[in-house]
Amino acid sequence: MKIHLLTFLFFISFSAVSFSQNQDQPKINGFFPGISLERFFEQVEENTPYRFYYIEQKISSITVNLQASDSKLSDLLDAVFQGTDFHYSFGADNAVFISKGKKLQVSLSDDFFSNVGNAGSGSSGQVDDAFVRNNRFIIGQSSPDKKTAILSGTISSLENQEIITGAIVFEKIDFTRTISDREGKYSIELPVGRHTIYIQNLGGYIEQRLIDLRGDGVLDMAIGESIYSLSEVVVNSGSINQISRPEMGVQTLTVSEMRKLPAILGEVDVLKGILVLPGVNTVGEASVGFNVRGGASDQNLVLFENSTLFNPSHLFGFFSAINADMIESVELMKAGIPANYGGRLSSVLQMKPKFGRTDKIGGSGGIGLLTSRLSLEGPIGEKTTFIAGGRTTYSDWVLDYLEDNADFNASRASFYDLNLNVRHKFSEKDILEFTGYYSQDQFQFDPDTVYSYQNQNYALKWTHYFNDQLEASFSAGKDKYDFQILGEDNPLNSYEFGFGLDQNFVKAEFRQEKGFRHVLKYGVHLNQITLNPGLITPYGAESIVIRDEVEQESALETSIFISDEFEINDKWFVSGGIRYNLYNYFGPQTTFVYPEGQPTTNENVIGEKTSEDGEIIKTYHGPEFRFSGRYSLNNQSSIKAGVNSMRQNMHLLSNSSVISPTDTWKLSDEFIAPQTGIQYSLGYFRNMAQNQLEFSTEVYYRSMRNLLDYRSGATIILNDDVEQDVLNTNGKAYGVEFFLKKSAGKLNGSVSYTYARSLYQTNSSEQKEQINEGTEYPSNFDQPHHAVLVMNYEVSKRFNATFSGNYSTGRPITLPVSKFVYAGSERVYYSDRNAQRVPDYFRLDFSINLEGNHKVNKLAHSSWSMGIYNVLGRSNPYSIYYTPEEGVLRGYQLSIFAEPIPFITYNFRF
Amino acid sequence: MLIEENLISGRIKMKRHGFIFALLVLFTMGCREPFEPEIENQEAGVLVVEGYLDSEGLKSELKLSVTTNVSDTVKFAPVKRAIISLISEGGSIFPLVEDKEGVYYFEQNIDENQEYKLEILLANGEKYVSGILKPIITPQIQEAGYVRDEQGIEVFVNTQGDENADDFLWTFEETWIFLPRFKVTYIYKPELRDVVPMKEEERIDLCYTSEVNSDILLETSSRFEEQVVFRKTITEIPEGDERLMERYSILISQKAIPQESLEFWETLKKNTDDIGSIFSPLPSVIGGNFKLEGNPDKPVIGFVSLGIVRQERIYIDRMDILPWDYNDPEFDDCFISPDTVFLNPAQLQAAFASGALLPARSVPGPMGPIGYYSTPRRCADCTLYADRKRPEFWED
Repeated sequence: MKIHLLTFLFFISFSAVSFSQNQDQPKINGFFPGISLERFFEQVEENTPYRFYYIEQKISSITVNLQASDSKLSDLLDAVFQGTDFHYSFGADNAVFISKGKKLQVSLSDDFFSNVGNAGSGSSGQVDDAFVRNNRFIIGQSSPDKKTAILSGTISSLENQEIITGAIVFEKIDFTRTISDREGKYSIELPVGRHTIYIQNLGGYIEQRLIDLRGDGVLDMAIGESIYSLSEVVVNSGSINQISRPEMGVQTLTVSEMRKLPAILGEVDVLKGILVLPGVNTVGEASVGFNVRGGASDQNLVLFENSTLFNPSHLFGFFSAINADMIESVELMKAGIPANYGGRLSSVLQMKPKFGRTDKIGGSGGIGLLTSRLSLEGPIGEKTTFIAGGRTTYSDWVLDYLEDNADFNASRASFYDLNLNVRHKFSEKDILEFTGYYSQDQFQFDPDTVYSYQNQNYALKWTHYFNDQLEASFSAGKDKYDFQILGEDNPLNSYEFGFGLDQNFVKAEFRQEKGFRHVLKYGVHLNQITLNPGLITPYGAESIVIRDEVEQESALETSIFISDEFEINDKWFVSGGIRYNLYNYFGPQTTFVYPEGQPTTNENVIGEKTSEDGEIIKTYHGPEFRFSGRYSLNNQSSIKAGVNSMRQNMHLLSNSSVISPTDTWKLSDEFIAPQTGIQYSLGYFRNMAQNQLEFSTEVYYRSMRNLLDYRSGATIILNDDVEQDVLNTNGKAYGVEFFLKKSAGKLNGSVSYTYARSLYQTNSSEQKEQINEGTEYPSNFDQPHHAVLVMNYEVSKRFNATFSGNYSTGRPITLPVSKFVYAGSERVYYSDRNAQRVPDYFRLDFSINLEGNHKVNKLAHSSWSMGIYNVLGRSNPYSIYYTPEEGVLRGYQLSIFAEPIPFITYNFRF
Repeated sequence: MLIEENLISGRIKMKRHGFIFALLVLFTMGCREPFEPEIENQEAGVLVVEGYLDSEGLKSELKLSVTTNVSDTVKFAPVKRAIISLISEGGSIFPLVEDKEGVYYFEQNIDENQEYKLEILLANGEKYVSGILKPIITPQIQEAGYVRDEQGIEVFVNTQGDENADDFLWTFEETWIFLPRFKVTYIYKPELRDVVPMKEEERIDLCYTSEVNSDILLETSSRFEEQVVFRKTITEIPEGDERLMERYSILISQKAIPQESLEFWETLKKNTDDIGSIFSPLPSVIGGNFKLEGNPDKPVIGFVSLGIVRQERIYIDRMDILPWDYNDPEFDDCFISPDTVFLNPAQLQAAFASGALLPARSVPGPMGPIGYYSTPRRCADCTLYADRKRPEFWED
């Protein structure tokens, strides 16, 4: 519809024009002396409900010259178009369509529907799109005693026939809805009768189908991803999920949502993205390690499909390890962790890989100040698609440049990572997927010492669909992490130090629908872990360093799990699961023997014990329970509750407050038991303003056992007897989270606020040392108040601006309580652990994204993202410490980013 | 195992300032700023005991003090009038003598085959007792030497551990000659209102600076083949440093320490050296080998050991390591004024009586000196920066 503003003058000069309103057909009055047809339409639209649809250029030649008094529009148009090739037709709601050459058909011819033989099998890919949207499909056979029926089918993309996951199928009377699963399948129960079914995919566009539901039946739907938009209702998939799913504490971020967040250095960062969610916080800016609901950073299971990433960061955490171009979405489970996941105490971060587009070969990339990335994706043949990508840094030039101006001692830092994901579809029933990841980091602060680490992950997954009810996936893979230090300070002392972790896994998972109301999931998960805790070898011929190795550890984790989702009725939806974990710790291993009941200290060693290769030294086992339930208050709100218990058999030994690369892993052994935890949570979820606003609040309480804290002066690297340095610690965490999100509209964003505590207490049975005299003390990541605001304003489709703010209480630190003189210098005396805090953290960021134009046939689509990190330039202290300078103590605060940091990245897609 | 950790912690200790600064500029970010946090519940008054008592009669000191508030300006808070004695398992008592405030001396040759304990009776009646102390016969320093390279000078020791002495602690004391920018041989005598040549004892052109170093140098010999500690770096003197402007001496003390004390020393080192950087370990509570009788949970800081202190002194001359371009920019503006201060009492008094200027060079005339050129005192008087007294040990 063309709408032009009438100029004031024009309006005045024809003020004599008047229109009389008539309920049946509006009558038109006025004098139209040689004005353009367009102006004529505008005046009519101004005063009548008529709305004209036309192509501006085509009618520009026509002028109107007539006087009307109580005239019908049709009479006037007849007069105007007399002798021309123009036609008009009246549609519904007073729409008037002007066409040239041929009259527009606004109603369907009687035989229109006859071009579909069998309604119900509306496989609509090749059929006229207007037809499928307006046809009323008759589904199923009617039977008099049936009140409701089940509609099911597969949703795929009209453009490339890829199945669409997470599309919502809903109707708007009762707001019954369902979501297509990973295979694009949906199933919805509706009352028998006529319905308009709406289908919305994640992009926010809506398709519709008219159905006449008479009995159970199948309707496969191919929907356009962008072209046919009836954008009158915008429904956000997450928002419906939030209300209807039984789990709580589960949040999904799509890459496009992450793109809107201000990046730290122009890179879309997966792990930074989740920090806007309530209950997720980080202790330091230079840390990818994150803490979920008062848990340590090693208690997060970071999964790339089924592969575990042991170090999810590059460059000490300035970048996330996974290239955002390689993933579809990120799901963080803080509670409500399904039974098919296990092995960590706090959370599961599931990154879903992309497998490439099916239509043509394309790619994307980005060029920033410090990093660049490139990826290529597309089909290979009919059945195979792939995506391959890489990322690298070239920060060395900055360091080189600086070296000329300052004394930098040859600092170096570089990283790269490579991804390859391939999907092959053998048939409709069999899909094979390969995901591969390799990353390498290297850095040094002086010419003599080089640090490096590698992540390697390879996995294969075969999904088989037995029938509509049963599907299975079998995966196997290898996860590897290695860390090295090469020290060449002095040829005599040159050494190579390293540690590594090698994990092989096999997982079989079945998903079975039992009737309409049950979804069963069950399976087996085996994890074989080999850990090299540390090895030092001389480097070079002259070195006199003695080779030393902490004995290799190996273990097998076997888990079986079963869960059931049961939709009892519209109000109640429960899901329950149990996972049984069996952990075997294998020899060969030589360990110290301590007297029964005595602390594991060096003084108490009474002997040594050697176990044979393959001998089971220690077995731990136990169940994990996962229960959650939802009660719908109405279509817009629900209450959920959940209980989760978890077990963790491997521990990150870290005597610093953030993940640092020198932290090593430790498997549970006869002295160190698996960590266990249980979390209770309760939440209220509500959607408002037609699901545009999502609100949720959750309270939780967690208790954790067998956590590790460290004795004063504990040694972690190359420690054969870690049991002497760790303290068995109990933990508890509780908090309340509020989250408000507006996902649609020009102004969108979210606000979250969390109040949370995380407290540790040395187990009273621990005899080695009782931290803070055995009282509760804040954990290293106890930050009670945390608030995040993200505001995104879409100025236009091509230009959006994001503003975000982040506040949290300062992290606990141990500050000296007094000082003394020793060995010729002032020294500090520490007393209670974590009794003080660094000042509060506050940061504002700003960024803009500028998209190129949206012409379809461009060589490459490009966009710019730029912005400023820490707009205020506030120096947020990362730590506070005292250090003696010339024998006198001085206090310092250390901040990571104390200045506003501008960034700019050029992104492209082809 | 602690042994390897030494090596690693020595190496892994990230050059944190380098790293921070690299990132700092890399991302144009700021980093460390002075900051004085408010600390509640300060815990002053904890007893601190420091000492390594030599068992062969070398005069060694035991320092007794208490902790003070972090913001206090006082550094050493001595504990006076304590009665300290070393008691052997055979019952012999060797008392320590308070010499200076809070500093008690021990000068006894004791039987190294016995076990001892140290008792400290404070004036307030509190009695602190050490754990068992076993004298360790420290092996001799095999060699103390230095290497000259592009970075400057590295002073090292070589030694070899044995079955009794595995862990070592080194301390060192440096002494060097300090020369002023200009050598002045005249002195203004106010009572004579005249300038006369300096006597030997009035010289201000040759001084000695001494510094006790506070680095904690630890090493475990058993991590090397045959327990040979080869080229253990004691200190590094950067190229052009003041210490080698003329002649430099370093006294290296080698002390074998019991394995139990290693944790104390490492904690002390970690708590001061490695705190505050991104990857710093968490600070640790420090203890030692003393307990208060009747209240063993009361904190006491300090690990006292018994043993033989092995010492080695080396000298390094600037002439041996040339070129060594010492230049302190602080004295770059030093000059000898070309204006003559004429030889009359009034002029001399006006110029030199305040002491701010010194007569530097005589101005020759046909009949002998007609006056003096002057220079600011700070350019010629080394006693402003160092001590004129030649140390007793000093060899030329």
